[in-house]
Amino acid sequence: MEQEDYFEWSKDLFSVSKIFGKPEALKGIRVLELCTRVFGPVTADLLADFGAEVIKIELPGVGDLMRYVAPRGFFWQNISPAFTHMNHNKYHVGIDIRKPEGADLLRRLVAKSDILVENFRPGTMDRWGVGYRQLKGINPGLIYQGNSGFGQWSVFKDRPSYDATSQAMSGFSATTGFPGRTPLKIGVWIGDYTGALFAALGILVALYHRKKTGKGQLLDVSQGESLIRVLDWTWAFQTMSGKGRGLYGNRDVAISPSGIFRCMDGFVAIAALDDEQFKGLCQAMDRDELIQEDRFKDISRRVKEDNNIVLYDIISKWSMTVSVEEIENLADKHRFSAHRVSNAKDHYKDEHLRQRRAVWEFDDPLYGKVVEYGPGPKLSRSPGRMKWFTRPIGFNNEHIFRNVLGLGEDEIKELEEQKAIGNWMDRVGAKPPDDWNGEDGVFF
Amino acid sequence: MSTENEKSWYDWAKEQTNPSDAAKKPEALSDLLVLDASYGSIGGLVCSSVLAEMGARVIRIEPSIGDMARNYSPFGIQHKDTGLGYLVEGRNKHHITLNLKNQDAREIFKKLAGHADIIIETFQAGVMDEWGIGYRQLKEINPRLIYTALYTYGQFGPKASKGRPGSEITNQAYSGLAYISGEPEREGPAEYAVPTKTGSWYGWYSEGLFAAYGTLLALNFREDTGEGQFVDVSGAECLMKFIDYNMGWFHMDGKVKERLGSYDPSVFPYTFIKCKDGYTFMAAYNDEAFNTLMEIIGRPELVEDPRFSSFMQRTSLENEEALQNILEEWSTQYPVDDVIDRVQKAISKKEGRAAAVVTGKVTHPSETLEEQNWWDRGAFVSVKDPVYGELTLQGPLWKMSETPPRLKWICRPVGADNEFIYLKYLGIGKNRLAEMKRDAVV
Repeated sequence: MEQEDYFEWSKDLFSVSKIFGKPEALKGIRVLELCTRVFGPVTADLLADFGAEVIKIELPGVGDLMRYVAPRGFFWQNISPAFTHMNHNKYHVGIDIRKPEGADLLRRLVAKSDILVENFRPGTMDRWGVGYRQLKGINPGLIYQGNSGFGQWSVFKDRPSYDATSQAMSGFSATTGFPGRTPLKIGVWIGDYTGALFAALGILVALYHRKKTGKGQLLDVSQGESLIRVLDWTWAFQTMSGKGRGLYGNRDVAISPSGIFRCMDGFVAIAALDDEQFKGLCQAMDRDELIQEDRFKDISRRVKEDNNIVLYDIISKWSMTVSVEEIENLADKHRFSAHRVSNAKDHYKDEHLRQRRAVWEFDDPLYGKVVEYGPGPKLSRSPGRMKWFTRPIGFNNEHIFRNVLGLGEDEIKELEEQKAIGNWMDRVGAKPPDDWNGEDGVFF
Repeated sequence: MSTENEKSWYDWAKEQTNPSDAAKKPEALSDLLVLDASYGSIGGLVCSSVLAEMGARVIRIEPSIGDMARNYSPFGIQHKDTGLGYLVEGRNKHHITLNLKNQDAREIFKKLAGHADIIIETFQAGVMDEWGIGYRQLKEINPRLIYTALYTYGQFGPKASKGRPGSEITNQAYSGLAYISGEPEREGPAEYAVPTKTGSWYGWYSEGLFAAYGTLLALNFREDTGEGQFVDVSGAECLMKFIDYNMGWFHMDGKVKERLGSYDPSVFPYTFIKCKDGYTFMAAYNDEAFNTLMEIIGRPELVEDPRFSSFMQRTSLENEEALQNILEEWSTQYPVDDVIDRVQKAISKKEGRAAAVVTGKVTHPSETLEEQNWWDRGAFVSVKDPVYGELTLQGPLWKMSETPPRLKWICRPVGADNEFIYLKYLGIGKNRLAEMKRDAVV
C-alpha cells in the first residue's frame, strides 16, 4: 500500500485547527503560584500552557513587582509586555497571606490543590506558618516547589538573587563573549528561565510519582545551580586540563565548524556537524578542495584548535561576500546547518512559526488581539494552547472564591473589609485598560 | 509542638532533601524504559539525562562507530574513547550499538520499541519514518509509546521538509537569543560588537530540557489515559519562550529588542559594574531598592535627580549610561568582595522591597569550582567510574524529599552493554550477537 507522504501525515497529526478539540496534558491539576518577578511565574506558566489550572496569588494593590518592569517604560493598555509573556491562562487573585484570614484562605486552597510554587527567600513561607512543614499536614499529596537563588539550605540562603547573580557566579558570563572585553550579561533573564524549566521538570516527575503513590514532596531548585548544570563540558575540562575555559567569541571550540558569521547584509549561524554536512558546506563555498586537505578530513581533525581557527577564518571571508538569504538557500541545497540571526520582526512574519503556532495570535476578551510565543513542545494527543492573556491583580477573585472555595457574597465582602483579599490599585501595570467596561473578560 | 517543627526551616529542609541521602530513597521513574537513538546531538542526550537521573533505564543506541557527538570536545580532547561534551551527558545510561541504516537492525529496533515507554531521536524530520521505524509505524506495535523527536525545524510546517540540518548554533540564532546578546556597535563595526552566542551549548541544553518537559507531560497524560503520543520539539521555538518580551513588545509597540551589552532596557540598575579587581552584578531597580543603593554609594541626592527619580526614567539608554558611570566611580575604589559586603551590610538593616539590592561576583569557572557551597549542595560532584575513572561533573539539579535524582555512573564505551541488553530484552545470546556483528547489524 502506498504510504501517505510523511509531512502530510505529520501536519494532520499535529493539526493546529484540532488543538482545542483535544484534551490537555495537565487537566485537573491545580497549581497555586505565590511568586513575583520571573523565576516562579515562568515555572507556573510552563504548567498553565498545558492545561493546569494556575491560580496566581498576588498581594492586593501592587501585586507582582514584575508588573512594573517595562521596556523603556512602555505599557500597553496599562500592562507591560515584560509581565504578560510569562502569565498566560492563569487565574489572578489578590490575597494578603500575611494576614490570618488570608493565610486561612491559602490553607483552604492548598487542601484543594496539587502543586504550590513559591519564590520567596528560603524560610519565609515557613515563618508565616504556611511553609511545606505546615501545609503537608493539610494536604499530604502536595507538591511544594521552592524556587530560590541558592536553594533552601545553602550558606547563601539569606542573599537575594536575580537571574544575573547566577549568570555571574556560575561562570556563565565568564565563558560568554569576546576576549579582552568586559564580561557580558546574556540579553535575557536566562538564570530565571533555566531555573524555571528545571523546576517544571521536577514538578512533572513528582506528579508522576504522586499518581503512582499518592505522596507529595518538597522540591528545591536554585538559579545558580541551574546555570552550573547547563555549562556542558566546562567543569570536566577545568578539572582535567587545569587551565579552564576561556572566551572564544562566536566560534565553538568543541565543534568545527560551528559559529556565527557576518554576511553582506546581516549575521548567520553556520555549522557542519558531520563529514557529510562539511562536504556540503565546502561545495556551497565552491571550495571542494578543502575536503581533501588532511587537516579538515574528519571532525576530530577539524576541531583541533589551529585547524578550527583557519576554518572559521575561511568561512568568515566567504560569508562576507554573500547575503543571508543566499546562505540559507545554499544550506537547503547542500545540506549543511545555517540560519539567520533572527529577531522579533523575523519571527512575527515567519510563516513556518505561524503555521506551527510557535507564534500564536489570539483574541483576548480584555485586551483584544495579542501575539505571543506558543507552548514549546508540540504534543500530538494533548497539545498545549494559549487561552487568555494576563489579568489585573485580583481580577478572578470572585470566580475562584465562589467556584473553588464556595464562599458566599457576604464572606467575600467581609474578607475584603479585613483587607485579606483585594484587587488592583490605580496604578499603570496593575489595573485594567482605561476603556474597560467592567464586564469584558470577567468569569462568573 | 513536635520536635520536628522546632528545627529551623534550613536544617529541616536540608535533612529532607540532602543529596547525600539520595541512594536510600526510591526513584520516581524506575519503571520506565527509554531508547535514546539521538545522533550527533547533545540535546537528545540532555533529554535522556533528565530521565536517567530520575531513575529511568535509558538505553543509548549508537552506530557501531559510535555517536558523532562523542567527537564534540574542546580542542578535540578525548578522554579514553570519548569527548568531554558527550561524557558529561552519558550518565546512568546503558550503551548498545545498532546500525539503523541496516534493514535487519531496524527489525531489532522495532522489537526493542515494543518494550519501550519512551523513544528519543534527533534525526531530520521523516528520516526514521523513511526507515520504517518512525512514530507512524511504532505506534502500531506499541500504542503506549511516547515518541520524542528533536529537530530545529520540527516535524511539520514549511521549513520542516526542506532537509536542512539543525544544530546547536542554529537553535541559538533562530530563537533570537543570539540577536539580543552582545555589545552594540558604537564607533562602527568591530569584531566584538556583534550578535554573540552564549559560550556554552545553550541551544542544545534548552532543547534537551524542553524535550524532557514535553516527554514528562506526555507521560503524565499516559498515566491518566493509557495513550502514548508524538512529542515534536524544535529547540529554536522552545528557546523563543525565553527571549523575554521579544514578541509582545514587537506586537504592541513595533519595537525590536536589540543587543545592549550588559544593559537591560526594562530594569536599571541591572548590570555588571567594574570594581578594583574584577566585576560584580549590581541591581536595584525598584524605587525603594534604588534609594538604598544611593545611600550605600553616598549619593542619596540622586534619588531626586530627574534622570533617575523613577524606574521609568532610569531605563532610557542615556540615563542607564550615566548611572553606570556613577556606580563605577564608587565601585572601582573597592575590591569586588568589599563592594558585595557593603551591600550585604546595608540591606541587612532594610526590609522588603528596600532590601532588593542584589549582587553577584563575576567568577571564572575555576573560581566557581572553588566555592564550597556548590559542593555542599551537590551542584558539583566527583564521581568514580569503573571505565572513565574519577571526574568532576555537574550533579543532578533537583533536591527532592521523596524521589531524589542521582548520578550512578559517568558513561559507557560504545557497545559496552550489548550483551546485557540484547539478552535481557530480546533473549539474544553470545553466538547470535557475534553473527549480528559479522553482518554489521551491531
